[in-house]
Amino acid sequence: MTRAPSALAIIDAGRATTSVSLLTRIGDQWRLLGSLAAPAATPESTLLAILAARALQADPGLPARAELEPAALDAVPRLTARSRPPRTLVVLAASRRAGADLSAEALRTAWRVEVASTETHDPREMTELLLRRDVGAVLIGAGDPAGPDERAALDDLAALGGAAARRRPDLGIILGGAMRGRRAWLEALGENPPGDPARFLEVPAVRRGETAVRDVLERLLDDPADGRQRLRATTETLADLLDRRVELVEVGFDAGTRVVAEPGVAGADPTSRAIVTAEGALVPPDPDNATVDGVLAWTTGSLDRHRMGDRLRDLRGRPWVDAAGDGARLRLAAATAALARIAALTTELGSEPMADVTVVAGGAFATAPPAAIVLAVADTIRRPGVSQLAWDHARLLGPIGTIEDPGERRTLLGDLLRDALVPLGSVVVTGSLGMRRRALVRGRSRAGHLDLSFDGESTSRELRAGELTFIDLLPGSQAEARFEFSEAIRFGRRTRHVTVPVTGGLAGLVIDLRDVPLRLPERRDRRRSVLAEWSTQAWPGDER
Amino acid sequence: MIAPDGLAALDLVRLRTVVAGPIEARFALRPGDRPLVGPGEVVVRGAPLADRIREARTDVVVGPPSAEPGTWWVAPAGRRGVDAGEEGELLFRSEKRWRLGTGDPAEPLEAPFGGIVREVIPGSGLTIQTPARALLGVDVLAGSSAGRLHRIAARDGHVRASEIDVGAAGTILVVGSYIDAEAITRARALGVRGIVVGGLGVKERREVLASERRGRAGVHGLPPFAVLVLEGAVGRPIASPVMAVLDALEGRMVGIVDEPACLLVDDPDVELPTPRAGLVRVTAGPLAGAEGTFEGLAGPHRFAGGIVLEAAFVSLGSRSAVAVPLGDLERFA
Repeated sequence: MTRAPSALAIIDAGRATTSVSLLTRIGDQWRLLGSLAAPAATPESTLLAILAARALQADPGLPARAELEPAALDAVPRLTARSRPPRTLVVLAASRRAGADLSAEALRTAWRVEVASTETHDPREMTELLLRRDVGAVLIGAGDPAGPDERAALDDLAALGGAAARRRPDLGIILGGAMRGRRAWLEALGENPPGDPARFLEVPAVRRGETAVRDVLERLLDDPADGRQRLRATTETLADLLDRRVELVEVGFDAGTRVVAEPGVAGADPTSRAIVTAEGALVPPDPDNATVDGVLAWTTGSLDRHRMGDRLRDLRGRPWVDAAGDGARLRLAAATAALARIAALTTELGSEPMADVTVVAGGAFATAPPAAIVLAVADTIRRPGVSQLAWDHARLLGPIGTIEDPGERRTLLGDLLRDALVPLGSVVVTGSLGMRRRALVRGRSRAGHLDLSFDGESTSRELRAGELTFIDLLPGSQAEARFEFSEAIRFGRRTRHVTVPVTGGLAGLVIDLRDVPLRLPERRDRRRSVLAEWSTQAWPGDER
Repeated sequence: MIAPDGLAALDLVRLRTVVAGPIEARFALRPGDRPLVGPGEVVVRGAPLADRIREARTDVVVGPPSAEPGTWWVAPAGRRGVDAGEEGELLFRSEKRWRLGTGDPAEPLEAPFGGIVREVIPGSGLTIQTPARALLGVDVLAGSSAGRLHRIAARDGHVRASEIDVGAAGTILVVGSYIDAEAITRARALGVRGIVVGGLGVKERREVLASERRGRAGVHGLPPFAVLVLEGAVGRPIASPVMAVLDALEGRMVGIVDEPACLLVDDPDVELPTPRAGLVRVTAGPLAGAEGTFEGLAGPHRFAGGIVLEAAFVSLGSRSAVAVPLGDLERFA
């Protein structure tokens, strides 16, 4: 008879860094002993050995002692999620308009997207794109029926796709809308085309509210060992365990994720909606001016566009470097810009009510101060309501999602809930405060007051429109926040009185009375000054 | 210091390979470029690998009734008025007419080192395998080149335009930590074949590429030129193990290729120095560029901005060991 293991390693092997967590069974529960992250090429066994040595030094009487000895570490079972290098999708269309429609759908996937149309590229340039080694698939699409701006170029595009299929037997080809079954495509493809016939796929034309194109594109990237893709399964399990609506936002090296999950009703399975997008990467491979400007918009420093471009390029090249001081602020500004891009691509999720629990995940937040993480989320994923924020500090959620069996996944996540998710605090966001009386916005008069009842005691404070306040509330503590406003605000409904339960965390309770969506001054100096004012509360120990 | 042993702890520091080999170097081709070599052929330094087009365009020709896309096609003699004088790469056939990738005038792509051609994919690229050793960088701008290596600055130097003179024609210059765009443009104009630099900013990259495009579009074209960036976009001193290799190559023929981004040395007689064991270099933060000896893990430490990071103790010269974030360190092999 073999004994059940009492130690387990959970490994999230990302493209930038590898995180290893060591778990031990205490009683009948798995508990997290510690975690350690290092640049991606670092041997996982080295990280595990250091974690085990630290655990044994801290508690020599650990029940799993024998399994954590150096000689026995190789036998410790491992649950591993690995990120694969991203792939590029070329979108070919017969007009700029059609290309924009197709790419809007493709951008909501983990593919890196490049768009070309017969209005912007000549056939030689389009062929060059398709022959590039990093291109994994091409989506050649048109309306169904094709629009008047598309008809003249459909046969050329179909023939170009057929020629590319003959030249590159590894290229996935997706024909959409009126491109399907076109004679020019069949003629160019010829008889006995090389490669696997399963690489030729057909999808309907892009239509509002339909996800057929996106579903096919996502299926092409499906990888059961990819932690990012499996975050959706973990979020569903989490919603089921907590019996709460859960939202997860993640920013990683190659892509970002947003998932909203609800627990099942009347014994049904939990449900979710999710977007994984390459646009949500911390920094894209070759940051362009728009990316640089997007990050500059969230910085309080004085870097110009060129120097910011240099810093972002280096951040992309060596994302584990310069994580303290100014580098930490730059990293979080890039993460905030990535969250803003994710929010812009997921407006349908943003229009839903605020989730009861918001989980922040991803290597981009690995070393940031908790209050700064909360501020980044409050700045970008904002809507009126209250949410409890938690942080996947040890990067456990992705690997746990790779467990195929929902029951096993639920058991492990249930055991690790308290260890895997660090409570960051609660965020209360109100909308429309000061819309009727502009004097409130300018802070000339009181907008309302807050009574916070905690542990039998009550504290009161005045509120002003547009303010952002961090109130100390320890992790694990529960309180009741009662707001009374001098005018009706949006908080799921229009009201002047709001009473909500809140819980504490590393960042405490955050009262956010700023606009929804957030409006920032256009002028850069004023914008910086506003951002600096908010960030002084989020970056403790920073003398600036 | 909590670590199983010193060696395992050093494994947590990112390893940077200074010299690698043998190398398979890839040269990108565009549709319309004409490969002049085939798989299995042996090439020597300076041998023509392909004819590259400058003003690329797509022509519409009648062409052959059946042919494989990617084939090089020359209009048959005697067909006056129809496709006369045309040649190029067949892209695709639509409505009984071929789209032809072509352009003019052509410029040769020469092998910057000797080797064996392993793969030729028209319109995409060709690969040459070489036993040569390579000093690895992070980026190459403007293509591939070859020349005699010549150092004109210290590893933390910053070269300006006035420091480059006509005597550098035909050489690949090692210019230290940084060089401005004006100096690169001047080097290009004086016939320098390449630049090896620690860091090159985004602004300089754009200017170099724009200058390169202008040069290639000119009637007479320009000789090959390449910029090898060793570190990244922000200027940093070149690491001493890298500089030691560059010093050992002073005056010798080397090549720059862009895939992988590296400086190739195909002379097997050159002895290249190996880095000292335990040497680590700080790549960011207030000590950026400093080099010292790894003393062991320091555990989680609080750094500027209140950020807590895993750290290591590093001895820098005669000073006592200091804690440096592990992520900011690199070691060499």
